Amino acid sequence: MIELRERTRRVSPSRLYELLTRYECHSLVDPFMGLPTHLNYLKRHGIAVHGGDLLEWFVRVGEGLLTNDFTILRDSEVAEIVEMLPGRLYSSDMFKAWEGVFFTEEQCVYLGVWHDNVRNLRSDGQTGLAILGLWRVLCYWLQKAHNPDDMQDVPPSELAWSYIRQTEKWVGSNLRRNTSRQADVLSTIAAQSADALFIAPPARNAFRNADARIWMWEAWWQANPYFSIEHAYRDSLFGQKSADEHSYARAIATVLSSAEDYPVVIVQTTEQKQADYEPHLRTARANVEIIAPHPHEVYLIGTH
Amino acid sequence: MSLLSAQGANSSPDRGALAELLALFGTVADVVAGDAPDDGIAIASLAVAIASIAGLPEKDRDALFWAALLRNAGAFGNPGLRKGDPLSERSATMLRWDVPADGARTCAAIAALPEGTADLVRWQAEAWDGTGFPDQLRWNGIPKAAQTLHIASAYVGLRAEPEEGLACLAADGGQRFAPEQTRTFIMWFHTFGGEITPLEAPADSLSAGTAPHDIVELLADRVDDHNGTARRWRRIGRRADALATALGLQAQQIRRVTLASALFGLGELSAAAPEAQRFDPLSRLGIEGRAANAIAAAELIAAFPVVADLASVVRARAEWYDGTGLPDRMRHDEIPIESQVLAACVAYDGLDDRFGSGAASPSLSPLEQLESVAGTQFDPRVVRALADVAKVRP
Repeated sequence: MIELRERTRRVSPSRLYELLTRYECHSLVDPFMGLPTHLNYLKRHGIAVHGGDLLEWFVRVGEGLLTNDFTILRDSEVAEIVEMLPGRLYSSDMFKAWEGVFFTEEQCVYLGVWHDNVRNLRSDGQTGLAILGLWRVLCYWLQKAHNPDDMQDVPPSELAWSYIRQTEKWVGSNLRRNTSRQADVLSTIAAQSADALFIAPPARNAFRNADARIWMWEAWWQANPYFSIEHAYRDSLFGQKSADEHSYARAIATVLSSAEDYPVVIVQTTEQKQADYEPHLRTARANVEIIAPHPHEVYLIGTH
Repeated sequence: MSLLSAQGANSSPDRGALAELLALFGTVADVVAGDAPDDGIAIASLAVAIASIAGLPEKDRDALFWAALLRNAGAFGNPGLRKGDPLSERSATMLRWDVPADGARTCAAIAALPEGTADLVRWQAEAWDGTGFPDQLRWNGIPKAAQTLHIASAYVGLRAEPEEGLACLAADGGQRFAPEQTRTFIMWFHTFGGEITPLEAPADSLSAGTAPHDIVELLADRVDDHNGTARRWRRIGRRADALATALGLQAQQIRRVTLASALFGLGELSAAAPEAQRFDPLSRLGIEGRAANAIAAAELIAAFPVVADLASVVRARAEWYDGTGLPDRMRHDEIPIESQVLAACVAYDGLDDRFGSGAASPSLSPLEQLESVAGTQFDPRVVRALADVAKVRP
């Protein structure tokens, strides 16, 4: 059974929205966006959002939740994702390597079928929404492996149908241009301009103990059960090259100095790790305000 | 304007008053959100019971209790709940997702609440699988106490038979609710048979920094915003205070008039539109609506001892001096003088509003119109005194 992390990073978009409003920011770039549900909240509240990440599935979900303003998946379209379609050839052993280790045989077959069906969707928006909905199924299965008696047995297609259908409620327009790109942090920062830059930097060596629910879904999307997140991050700024303390500090300083053009920089961290970021922000910015509603949720806000 | 006693919130009696007023605030917010008025105490009691089983520390349980009572504090003025503009169900639902975060902002402004209350209000509807709102937090990113509030709120909100409620919530384990949370809920259910034992609000957990009158004013402001009558109670309260003084009322009576000015608007929360927009304040046509609003406000207030003495004042504000008013057809001195003062000031404000907006006949000023009903709708002495007050302080 795979271990599920006890602690989950908490990004509260409603709190972030309060900070943006206070600093009169109407657009934001998040180069470490991860699952962009927080950017979706900001989008719904009228902020133009631009996210970037190295993992493709995050970016695809961004296309569904951020870039896409109107497209949803209707019942008939969802039905074509969750079940095997007659006449389509499926590679039945795509996720065979996970069988008996993380998932049952039936679950592995479904993962393969869903992968092929989603890859065949023609709309980027629909693809992103389907990836998000199906990811929640993966999370359910992994959780159920830990709590077999506390969670119901739901047929895979029914669970998938319900989760994909739910994604409709997050689709909406803010009449602004919103983007999602697959890029390293520095490229994302350079590619966009906005009122604010929001960064919740990965902890040092975070790629080594990434949450299984995150790397597994990239593996699913890449159809490669042997995918390693360490490999994906290998040449990135926060990858292998910043594994030691000094390199990590340099990487943070590089990010902050590259954000010169952003009027406001918001760094989200924890009380425990605040010292890793605050000196760098104070070097890069004349004014730094600290808002700490909770020891696990500290915001360092730098302005010129 | 200081409404209740002007002392701070340090003394025990004031803490008790503060606790009751916070409960009133929560109950009124529940009415705005479409919940039943007694849902708050049921949810709070259940949440604390589950939290005790889960072993949450006492300070978290106190915060949880207040967060449950005030969980709809963000409902006031929410466009998805506001009267008027009809919205599509989808738009209204999406707008209602802002209720928790707006409620958190309101709670953060109430210094007396235990630490963490505002965050529990903010995250009360987050789902374990990340499909909740407003923040779409997931897994252990949602504080345990907020998960507890969610499950308690869901159980009470179902209004189902206990066993049916249990089945519904158990089916959501691992989706809306954490598996561990569901297990704790099931343990509570089997221990107590699904029956919620109402608890008293932990008044001792409230700290200094908020006086009772702050809550009355906050509530009155929020109610006016929601009713689309921003700052109305402040205008009426100022005028009623001056009128009561001009009439030579005693300090206690003046206090009742001022407080009633702050609270009579509660009765309009369920109405389609504010009274003054629907009817000429002097027309008999609106009398049933006005009486219904007066009764609704009086019923809400009567349940809270700290303000219960105002219920009779608010209830009688639709009575007419000649005995043809509603709901009790009181006449002359049977109508409490505080109610007569309040009614005259509410009518004056409505007339002034309509006069200013051009909705009423421009030929007669608000005072002239009021004078025309002296002896029928209003006590002539009250109208005369109001005329004097309005001349000094229009």
